[in-house]
Amino acid sequence: MDYVRGDSDQALIPLKVLVAGGFGVGKTTLVRSLSEIPPLLTEQEMTSASIGVDDLGPVPEKRTTTVAMDFGRITVDDSLILYLFGTPGQSRFWFMWDELARGCVGAVVLVDLRRVDDCFPAIDYFENRRLPFVVAVNGFPGSDDFDDDTVRDALALPPDCPLVRMDARRPESGLTTLITLVEHALARTAVPSQL
Amino acid sequence: MVAEEPGDGRHADWSAGGRSSGGRVVPVYAVTGGRTRSTGREMPVEALITVTDAGGRAADLELEYRTIVELAAAPISVVEIGATLGVPVGVARVLVGDLADAGYLAVHLPPSATTNGGPGPEILERLLDGLRAR
Repeated sequence: MDYVRGDSDQALIPLKVLVAGGFGVGKTTLVRSLSEIPPLLTEQEMTSASIGVDDLGPVPEKRTTTVAMDFGRITVDDSLILYLFGTPGQSRFWFMWDELARGCVGAVVLVDLRRVDDCFPAIDYFENRRLPFVVAVNGFPGSDDFDDDTVRDALALPPDCPLVRMDARRPESGLTTLITLVEHALARTAVPSQL
Repeated sequence: MVAEEPGDGRHADWSAGGRSSGGRVVPVYAVTGGRTRSTGREMPVEALITVTDAGGRAADLELEYRTIVELAAAPISVVEIGATLGVPVGVARVLVGDLADAGYLAVHLPPSATTNGGPGPEILERLLDGLRAR
């Protein structure tokens, strides 16, 4: 079998960043504006063992279903390829996040200030797992009405968590957000493992 | 099956019982034997796949195996293979695992995680340089 671990010499190295946030906050827009490949969806199978029984609703005999997930790709250099995954919005799909989140560079949590509650599950998720993340306020109308301190308070952000303003439709804006995330992740590697 | 982008040429019609191309006569799950999990090593969805020297001998393989070998002419991830073929990523993982076991494909895994769980500082520095240069 020909498996090559990504820190050997001959390596092609896959990396990934998660894009999270509530429904309709711009996850798909951000993934697509940054991706060099046409928009693609992937399907992930979900078995009934992975989800709450009540989720099966009126079809209790149904054992599996699939969820769709956006992803995109950025070829960074000759050997680094970065994948962006838009996480499914609904909390019942969080089991997928664990597989996706394993080994990730970090996450961009998108926020619509008109519906801040929607991003709390994502923030909680990444905070609890001590994964690097940045909070990116997507530029919906009215998002400039609140200064950063007010937003930080409303989201109860940890002091070291970067907060950026962005427009998910603009690739250069998304790129700046990604760079902020990688800088944050890199800074955290200098900190001894936190327990 | 996920809704496919019509006419963009990136999605082979795997679910159509062979009406499109290459004479599919059995569902793709028959090829995987119903497996949706590879029995081999862990293969994350972003694992990169490339063809090996043995890939030139893939002409006799079944259609979906052959197609994957062709897709892997340039580095491509398991999740892209699944999406391009229109099959769930679990199915793509099994097919790729079979081909890797048979020596047709090389699987490039993500870097070993640091104690913080993510890639180490050298790789993050390279990522940062690459993103800043865009």
